[in-house]
Amino acid sequence: MKISRRELFALAAAPLLRGSTALFEEVPPSVSGITWVHENAMSPKRFLPETLGPGCAFLDFDNDGWMDIYLVNSGPSDFYQPAKPLRNALYKNNRDGTFTDVTEKAGVGGGTFGMGVAVADYDNDGWPDIFVTSYGNCILYKNNHDGTFTDVTKKAGLETPGWTTSAVWFDYDNDGRLDLFICSFVDYGTTQHLSCGDNKLGRNYYCIPRTFKGTASFLYHNNGDGTFTQVQQGTDIARALGKGLGVVATDINNDGLMDLFVANDTVQNFLFVNRGKDKNGKWQFEEMGLAAEVGYSENGQARSGMGVDAADVFGSGYQDLFVANVDQEMFSLYKNQKNETFRDVARVNNVAQSTRLLSGWGLKFFDYDNDGTVDLILSNGHPDDMIESYSAQVKYKEPILLFHQEGGKLRNVSGEAGPAFSKSYPARGLAVGDFNNDGLIDVLIASNGGAPTLLRNQVAANHHWLGLKLQGASCNRDAIGAKVRWSAGGVVRSRLKNSGGSYLSSSDPREVLGIGKAEKMDWVEITWPKPSSKVQKIENPAIDRYMTVREG
Amino acid sequence: MRCSAVSAIVLLFCSLRANGQPGSAEQILRQALTMHQAGDIEGAIGAYKKYIALKPDSPMAISNLGAAYARAGRFEDAITQYRLALKLQPANTPVELNLALAHYKLGQAEQAAAILERIHKAAPEQLQPVLLLADCWLSMGKNKAVVELMTPFGERQPDDLAIAYVLGTALVRDNQLLRGQVVIERILRNGDSAEARLLIGTTKLSVRDYAGALVELAKAAELNPKLPDVNSYYGQALLSTGDPVGAAAAFRKALAANPNDFVANLQLAVVLKQDENLGEASKYLRRALQVRPGDLSVRYQLASIDFSQGKLEPARAALESIIKEAPNFTEAHVTLATAYYRLKRKADGDRERAVVAKLNAEAQAKEPGAKMK
Repeated sequence: MKISRRELFALAAAPLLRGSTALFEEVPPSVSGITWVHENAMSPKRFLPETLGPGCAFLDFDNDGWMDIYLVNSGPSDFYQPAKPLRNALYKNNRDGTFTDVTEKAGVGGGTFGMGVAVADYDNDGWPDIFVTSYGNCILYKNNHDGTFTDVTKKAGLETPGWTTSAVWFDYDNDGRLDLFICSFVDYGTTQHLSCGDNKLGRNYYCIPRTFKGTASFLYHNNGDGTFTQVQQGTDIARALGKGLGVVATDINNDGLMDLFVANDTVQNFLFVNRGKDKNGKWQFEEMGLAAEVGYSENGQARSGMGVDAADVFGSGYQDLFVANVDQEMFSLYKNQKNETFRDVARVNNVAQSTRLLSGWGLKFFDYDNDGTVDLILSNGHPDDMIESYSAQVKYKEPILLFHQEGGKLRNVSGEAGPAFSKSYPARGLAVGDFNNDGLIDVLIASNGGAPTLLRNQVAANHHWLGLKLQGASCNRDAIGAKVRWSAGGVVRSRLKNSGGSYLSSSDPREVLGIGKAEKMDWVEITWPKPSSKVQKIENPAIDRYMTVREG
Repeated sequence: MRCSAVSAIVLLFCSLRANGQPGSAEQILRQALTMHQAGDIEGAIGAYKKYIALKPDSPMAISNLGAAYARAGRFEDAITQYRLALKLQPANTPVELNLALAHYKLGQAEQAAAILERIHKAAPEQLQPVLLLADCWLSMGKNKAVVELMTPFGERQPDDLAIAYVLGTALVRDNQLLRGQVVIERILRNGDSAEARLLIGTTKLSVRDYAGALVELAKAAELNPKLPDVNSYYGQALLSTGDPVGAAAAFRKALAANPNDFVANLQLAVVLKQDENLGEASKYLRRALQVRPGDLSVRYQLASIDFSQGKLEPARAALESIIKEAPNFTEAHVTLATAYYRLKRKADGDRERAVVAKLNAEAQAKEPGAKMK
């Protein structure tokens, strides 16, 4: 076979070109069609809610198999009346890399001073519903299966006062219906809002949350008839006054009961371990953040916890935890010791050093290159827009960080990840999802007072994968709490389908299982959550595609 | 300024006959003194020892041997000799001053201060021991006492920059910022100086104007990098503005100039501990504890290093002793609770955890937001 000079040149250049390709490429609004911009309502008085939003979500609201996007905005409140109407946004995926704003038709524009979003199929009808948290009141949008939603907040009994932030859907009592935990932030006052006065620049600045009283978070039990009942009273959830910003539902002790890890700002983090029913039949959660060594820093200090996530990062069969903090505090990666305690291993994984000057919000464990191991993305931004006047090192807009797992350790690969990782953002929410169905998980970042950033994953590792959409039948429809094991190339891996995580945001509910260079998957096994606990094994599934697995 | 106050070691002379017999005690002592003055310290030490073997009751020779040891940096040996000399001649002020200096050099500010207080009482007008005593107290955090001590001197000698500097430092550290400002202005009248910048910088640090402090302290370090405390405070400003690497470098410079700088020892240790360089952190913490024996923050850091290294029993014991002395030390209660849990002493852990919750609630109740409606 003869090779022309041009072909020879192309072959020689190919590795170089591949090497220069960014791992993630920013999809600009002009291409994606996502022109919505967050209004943070920043005022001279610097009311604290202005700096905490917004969240974002990947969801398939119309069940066409393509991830759509939901974005949360601020809105009218007791300290803010927008000059022009503001709304949240729902963007339908056009399946060609572009999106169309369908908010008005869908009827999900909000109307509160929105904070975050949690998406799940709470009524097990096979269609995702949307829950929006706010400074003010929450909103539950029930999916009508026709591209529209109905606000059922009041009917559902989910009118929740105060200032709510992240929320998570999970089935704490394994009755097959998704319950709802909602983080409550500080008591910001009802008739007056504290001003923390002038800073050195002679301007008001955002109060540090330490100044405000903490509040108890909310746990709602799903009654199965479209209504919910508040059930936190008489549990540690009601007793623990926190300043909750991030929450993930996971199972830290593999007892089949979903636990909650809550990141609190300026007070200790909470680990609510699900203990089941007590002798009086009351469902109990034991708060054991301090005993589990995830509540405080190694110096015994409460930090400014914001984003969280959980995953079996190191393949131990147990869930590890992550929490992002404010600058100087460094972020923590907590390795599960398999006895309901954890050790912070952020330093040996290069996370502590990389995050010393950063304030972290949305974050997610995910396998961005489908090599089968868990990687990590962190979005950052300082809450104080005037921070650069006080600090030579800390910036208001901060970079996104990407970590790749290699040899059982995380390595900061942000420098190789592409131009989007050398830019800075006032980032808050972050969601991951495969919006173009190529098996590579993409990233959506919501910025405070700015446009969202959509990052398309274009990793050229050519690794194989299998995407699973799990459909519960007797368990909750979203199969939250399911355990997935898969075997390929002589390696068996596993994953727990957690819920929530990140900050104010909701991610693609599908599980993408990476198998690296293996040419086939030997089997995939699903252990469905209770009440069935059924184990379902699929031999030799076809790879590099999505498949729906129904509990059966 | 402070350097001049602490550097003098008094060499004591006695009248010697011009021509002693070769090998006589007098000639050995003459040789020792000559060598001492010429800088042949090891030779002088040997000669003093020979003389003392022949004349064991000579306080002057013993004290000079102490001075030679001090010059060689062997301060523990110096202290032994000074104490022997003082036993033979109790009211010898120059020897007492040397003894205080040796303790000071070893970072034993408390012992040095006790001696200097006695000297000051005996001779209240002498400036050198007062400046040294003030410096010891500053390193021990006794800022109010320094203000009281130095104020009369400041009034009598308003143009003495050494006095103004020490007094100004104490005022700023004691948060008496208005009075401090007056003293700073007195220093500023003499033109831009590292001392003035240092004082302005520390004032800004005390009101948490970290960016402003950084500018002043950087200038002070540039004008006179050898100025006592300048790098220590510069390090604190760097740390407060998010530059722990720069801060660690500044603390190391501070410690090169003064190994007994309490703040530099403690803060460098904290930075090293964050970097999980626990061995080196311990070294600096132990030095800080020498400077301020019993200091709770240093003892807590040492206990938490023990805890991190899995030495649970020593950590528990240290933490129990800390909270006995400081029952409101929340971080110590947190770490003690964790230690109990790791030691499987759940009831004790739960008790400590309850204390933490109570302390946190009390602290929260003092915040401005507690009064909001």
